[in-house]
Amino acid sequence: MSYSKEKVEGILNDGLQRRSFLKGLVACGVLSVLPGGRLLANESLNTKIPYLGEKAYETFRNACPRNCYDTCSIKTFVKDGVMQFIEGATESTFTNGGCCVKGNSYVRRVYSPKRIKYPMMQVGGKGSGSWKRISWDEAIGHIGDKFLNMKKEDGHLLGAALTKYSGNFGITHYGVEGMFSSLGYTTRFGGTPCWPAGIDAQNFDTGNMWCNDPEEMKDSKYIILWGVNPASNSIHTMKYIYEAKRKGAKVIVIDPLFTETASKANEYFQVKAGSDGLLALAMAKIIIDNNLHDKKWLKKNSHGYKEFEKYLKTVSVKKASEVSGLSEKLIHEIALGFAKADPATIWIGYGIQRHTNGGSMVRAIDALVAVTGNVGKYAGGARYGHLHTWGFNYNAMTNPKPKGSIGYTASNAVMGDMHGADSAKKVKYSDRYLNINKTAEGILTATDPKIKLLWVACKNPMAQDFDRNKLIKAFNSVDTVIVADQFFNETTRWADIVLPVTTQFEEYDVNVSYWHYWLSINQQAIKPLHEVKSDLEIASLLSVYMNKKEKGSCTFPQKYDSKKLTSKEFNKGIYEQFGIKSWKELENGPVKAKAVIPFADGKFGTPSGKFEFYSEQALEYGHTALPEYLETRKPYDKYRLTTLHSRFSLHSQFQNIDWMEDIHPEPFVYINPEDATYKRIKTGDMVSVFNKQGLLRVKAKITDNTPVGTFMMYEQWYNNSIYNVNELVDDTSSDMGLFKTGAPGVALQDTYVNIRKV
Amino acid sequence: MQKAFLVDSDKCLGCNTCAMACKNQYHQDKGILWRQVREIGHEEYRTDQNNILPTLVWYAKPPKVEVPAERYYASIACNHCEEPACVAVCPVQAHTKDPETGICKHDQSLCIGCGGCVKACPFGASKFNEQLGKAEKCSMCWERQADGKLPACVQSCPVEAIQVVDIHDPKYANIGEKNPLGLDYAVEAPTKPSTRFIHSSMPNKVHRL
Ligand code: SF4
Ligand code: SF4
Ligand code: SF4
Ligand code: SF4
Repeated sequence: MSYSKEKVEGILNDGLQRRSFLKGLVACGVLSVLPGGRLLANESLNTKIPYLGEKAYETFRNACPRNCYDTCSIKTFVKDGVMQFIEGATESTFTNGGCCVKGNSYVRRVYSPKRIKYPMMQVGGKGSGSWKRISWDEAIGHIGDKFLNMKKEDGHLLGAALTKYSGNFGITHYGVEGMFSSLGYTTRFGGTPCWPAGIDAQNFDTGNMWCNDPEEMKDSKYIILWGVNPASNSIHTMKYIYEAKRKGAKVIVIDPLFTETASKANEYFQVKAGSDGLLALAMAKIIIDNNLHDKKWLKKNSHGYKEFEKYLKTVSVKKASEVSGLSEKLIHEIALGFAKADPATIWIGYGIQRHTNGGSMVRAIDALVAVTGNVGKYAGGARYGHLHTWGFNYNAMTNPKPKGSIGYTASNAVMGDMHGADSAKKVKYSDRYLNINKTAEGILTATDPKIKLLWVACKNPMAQDFDRNKLIKAFNSVDTVIVADQFFNETTRWADIVLPVTTQFEEYDVNVSYWHYWLSINQQAIKPLHEVKSDLEIASLLSVYMNKKEKGSCTFPQKYDSKKLTSKEFNKGIYEQFGIKSWKELENGPVKAKAVIPFADGKFGTPSGKFEFYSEQALEYGHTALPEYLETRKPYDKYRLTTLHSRFSLHSQFQNIDWMEDIHPEPFVYINPEDATYKRIKTGDMVSVFNKQGLLRVKAKITDNTPVGTFMMYEQWYNNSIYNVNELVDDTSSDMGLFKTGAPGVALQDTYVNIRKV
Repeated sequence: MQKAFLVDSDKCLGCNTCAMACKNQYHQDKGILWRQVREIGHEEYRTDQNNILPTLVWYAKPPKVEVPAERYYASIACNHCEEPACVAVCPVQAHTKDPETGICKHDQSLCIGCGGCVKACPFGASKFNEQLGKAEKCSMCWERQADGKLPACVQSCPVEAIQVVDIHDPKYANIGEKNPLGLDYAVEAPTKPSTRFIHSSMPNKVHRL
């Protein structure tokens, strides 16, 4: 590789800002890292860097904070202050030295030429595209004054709303909520778009949402992967599934789509979407009829089993066969195979609960696992997710309200996301809560007070929420929309002020998973680029400004130290659980929680203290007490549309990185050959997919991975196209979610569309 | 010694981690991947969406078993051939074959960008960087290997679907197949590619609606 003068000049001439940035690098003695400096340059001008040997780098511990099962432990290689490359930490047996395709693009994400570099103000109004660079002082002053004026006018801050979700699941990021709490009582978008129906279902059944260590799956004898696609979305779990398979276990995939995972299973069963609950009930019935249920376990550990058994008498295997599309013989085969294997386990995917009968289906599968006595067993269990390792202090969010704050005296306070399901960690709010899954409607219909300020953090609602046209209208109705993000995207387009935030490599944090049991520290590996600041630093700045203008108006700590804030999240419980004495030990590598088998002690968090087939609580929340079969939503158009997570993005993240575009350049709608023939569509044809919500133009790909009558499209925002599958999804709710997260989820999979060649 | 990639398509998830791990390590320019994950199935390989292969006579034989489209993956980089065409054709010895490891190295500082290797390589492994006017390709991470580490793609594969083996070691002499399913070109390639493949299989039982 040669670094000719022309090339260096070329980089330096690539825009004034770049030049000043490179000058900055030079000033801090980073001249020798031109290869690193090149990362910032033109997308296509010799950006290659050599591998220089382990000793040439300084290494840091990081973690992937995205909303993903795997939450990889990362080791970051830095030279002269510039990130060169990353690896998975080898200390974590789960991450095992790897990352995924997304994680491996992190360096490019950090140094992307498209990152937001400075605070910006959209001077021409929302959507105008006419931006002005402003200083942090101006930005914070503007926002701070807004808050103070609102308080003066209204006497409270309920007109200020926060919508934040899973863009960064690092613990200190709950400081964004903390910032809002420290201002007074405000409006929050509560609930979770992702998994509420299943959370409620599991809580009705077990009083918790808690699953076995995925690494145990290597010792399972029968694994049903039900509506889950780890080969795409939890790649590190696949090695345990392979190991089980190698040792003779049976791996079964039940899914409407022939997924990447299905192609790796021993047996694959395609079923009609929304039929899974009935299928599980039929299997439970067969198991009991064949006297293969675990009577001892049921007697000791369950509540309402008799009622359940009685209900099963009304369940017909024949009907289950008709509804699911599986023959009675096959249903028998799976049921008996599952019951006879010991231990056996079912991984319930988040796809199942995204139906109008989703929660009830998860309950039916829970019941099936319980009937076989596989709950509370090593390598067994009904796996959905867990928050068992999330017992942090949430210090960053526990600020007292300023004196005299006036708010809502809501009776059923809603917690919202992650720890909403964690019964051990309850925080009481008296903010005003609106349903996160109906953001547009929430903004448009909120009165007394109206929403005057909207703060968006760790979230890209325009790409991920539903009914975008309504959302644009909603954003336009708000005086000031502030978006804190790393990239300009569809949401920033409708913002008034955009604040550039740090990546995890530019701040301290701590990360755990809702799937595996590892704990990773996230060290600051590089100085924040450009003028970016962390969400917490922004909160501190705001606190400084507001207190200067009006003493006592904000209780958020005015001194910012990301390392200190991170260290404050640890407590004795965490240390004990992970067998460490200090968080400093995490600098040597991630550690794993001491193994605990969920419910092995027969203690459940339900009112009866047992596994509840019959749940009074479910009844209270308007559901059937038993996990009864409920029909799914009736079709309102010709074809079902399933919308999946792609392995190339996490919601709207990563697909905008140019490296990712090299691998995954364009979106498709996937159509079965039979449907395609009927509609005279060939691979590569441009088609319109449309329904009552909207219309999308996208290329077609013909594949028998999708069944007849069902189309498949990946969710996400594509950098170079306006493709967004959520334009076709209405916000019909799934059945459950009110109990633990305060609002039901969205029945994404119950979307129907039609198609036309264009 | 002839170091070689052993690609196990039966395990490969098509996750593309390997391809990105390579980019993470070396930061190739936009549009260039040294390792690519090909989706193979039905007749799709003929259209060669990834453009990894230039049109050549010896690659178009129909696949022997039917694996659903997009559910059979082969992760392919440079084959570090035993008789590499790239080495033979290069007028300035920018490509060299390491006598000890069998790795085909490319020194970009010597490259004059004649494009000979890009045309000569039957597998499209050697890429032409239009902006630089030079060629580039997978180096089997020889610097990492010399440092006692696995190649970046191998280390990051979550299911050990790619490994580095020595096909001259009797232990591995008969390992895998020479032809990737659907890309039978490799068997007859005069370059004697060293990559070995384990073919993908279908689940024992598949029930479709
Ligand atoms: S990383 Fe491994 S499993 Fe993933 S595509 Fe590459 S070879 Fe296949
Ligand atoms: S695959 Fe192509 S580039 Fe690689 S050694 Fe063989 S001929 Fe050379
Ligand atoms: S392009 Fe470069 S490496 Fe390839 S043959 Fe020509 S000079 Fe040699
Ligand atoms: S061996 Fe190294 S250079 Fe070759 S594809 Fe893998 S990561 Fe890239």
